[in-house]
Amino acid sequence: MSRRRESRVIEADVCVVGAGAGGAVAAAELAEGGMDVVVLEQGPHHDADRFSARPLDMLARLYRDGGQTTTLGTPPILLPLGRGLGGTTLVNSGTCFRTPAAVLERWQREFGLEALTEDALDPCFARVEGALSIAEVTPELAGRNAAVARRGAEALGWSYGYLRRNARGCVGSGVCAFGCPTSAKQHVGITYVPRAEAAEAQVIAGADVRHVLVERGAARGVEARLVGAGGGRLQVRAPRVIVACGTIHTPLLLARSGLGRASGQLGRNLALHPATGAFALMDEVVDMARGVPQSFYVDEFASEGIMFEGVAGPPSYVAMSLPLSGKRHAAAMASYRNLAMFGLMVSDRSRGSVRALAGRPVIRYELVEEDVARFRTGLRRMEELFRAAGAREVYLGLPGGVTPERARARDLKLMAFHPLGTARADARPGHGVVDGDLRLHGVQGVHVADGSVVPSSLGVNPQLTIMALATRLAFGLLGREVPHTHEEIPCPS
Amino acid sequence: MSRATPDLGREGLDRFVDAAPQPARSSLRLLVALERRPRGRRLLGRAHTIDQLANGLLAMGHYEDPANALPLGWDADAVAARGRALRREEGRP
Repeated sequence: MSRRRESRVIEADVCVVGAGAGGAVAAAELAEGGMDVVVLEQGPHHDADRFSARPLDMLARLYRDGGQTTTLGTPPILLPLGRGLGGTTLVNSGTCFRTPAAVLERWQREFGLEALTEDALDPCFARVEGALSIAEVTPELAGRNAAVARRGAEALGWSYGYLRRNARGCVGSGVCAFGCPTSAKQHVGITYVPRAEAAEAQVIAGADVRHVLVERGAARGVEARLVGAGGGRLQVRAPRVIVACGTIHTPLLLARSGLGRASGQLGRNLALHPATGAFALMDEVVDMARGVPQSFYVDEFASEGIMFEGVAGPPSYVAMSLPLSGKRHAAAMASYRNLAMFGLMVSDRSRGSVRALAGRPVIRYELVEEDVARFRTGLRRMEELFRAAGAREVYLGLPGGVTPERARARDLKLMAFHPLGTARADARPGHGVVDGDLRLHGVQGVHVADGSVVPSSLGVNPQLTIMALATRLAFGLLGREVPHTHEEIPCPS
Repeated sequence: MSRATPDLGREGLDRFVDAAPQPARSSLRLLVALERRPRGRRLLGRAHTIDQLANGLLAMGHYEDPANALPLGWDADAVAARGRALRREEGRP
């Protein structure tokens, strides 16, 4: 009886589950378009006043599982995921790429996503770019870590550039991944979520959605458990549900709701963009954490599925990432100010899966030989890049004595930041979980708007793709064209 | 790096380990406990990958401490304080 008294029911036009890159964008656009929107976010609201610029402290607070979500397979891959209003946009590097044209062409060809052309998506991208103040990092703000990579790329004649990021008034605090202390990074928790609230959407943090409710083939809403003070249960009754829990958790919610399984693709096709880092000991002081950690890229080998992007962090972050131990580790850390760091990301052919075990995601992912070969090539070229920049020593993420040429899958020390594809879009119901308009095949009113719908590796950071697709979804539900605009959209303070 | 882990770093490391999902949490606790003891370190030294992980974990805690980060040019408190000041001055969220 008492449990029933604690239940709460809300009526809405749309219930959005998850306030990350996809959910927050869809919610704001729908609310501003006049719909009655409820957003349920499992994680908390994070107060920037409590951002300490200490990696260990912030990992435990801003990330799911303290940033220690790991895949099962060879090698195990660390897969850090943000948790809270803003989702992973709260803790990512802020890098923004439009979906490459070649990738869109592949989607049209292989997945029947014929409406997702460059022209059709242009207003969606432009709208997000305006909303998030997306602009190229300046060399001054990029800092000396980027300058090292630039020097190497110039010496080798490799193609490079400064990255475009969603930041406004950035001063290069160096801790994008640990909570931006200046709120310069325009993550969706401080942009789209306030816009949704200003348009009278109800945003409820600490709501763990357990089921999407469907009756007679149509969405009826969701059921959630409220965590934190008071607890209890919440039911949102809505004829439209947008599932946006992220690539790892969306398939789990759909599966336990008995949805999305007809094609046999739910939870499969997981792509990750596995990545590794390398360090170089330079003669000059680098102070890698002064500046934008991910500000520079080298795309000379992008057509081979190998992309180099900046990465950097404070001493404690570097201490964990340095592929050394004992006295060599201590010696390298003593020279922290002279260390440069850069990342290598692979557009993967490997595919993994996600399923639930005792309510938790089990992520399986085996790196195929083709991707191992990309890492071998990439690590060799990374060493070349640093040597060309004048490095005294280079530390690759490999065990001692293992050269890039001889590296096996189990030798690689990998992380991944871009899980995609576990509820992939495909126009054909037998091949995908959602269609090109992100509607769940076979069910009315259930949509998915996060990285899980992205049907292939992008080769570039995916947040802008996810946001553009969510924008397109929202305007589709509103029955309107996405307006053509290249101007900034102000966020409510 | 000194093997002695100052309290602030130790607290941060403990919170980090506590946030890990099971069964990784228990494994990490064991690794940290072994790495903090000379005999444990010798044992871990036989397995390169695990040794590196354990060493990295403890080092993370070590350099989280301002006393060890400041000499390397990293002042987390100053970065956070500048952030707070900027947000207040400019009305950022």
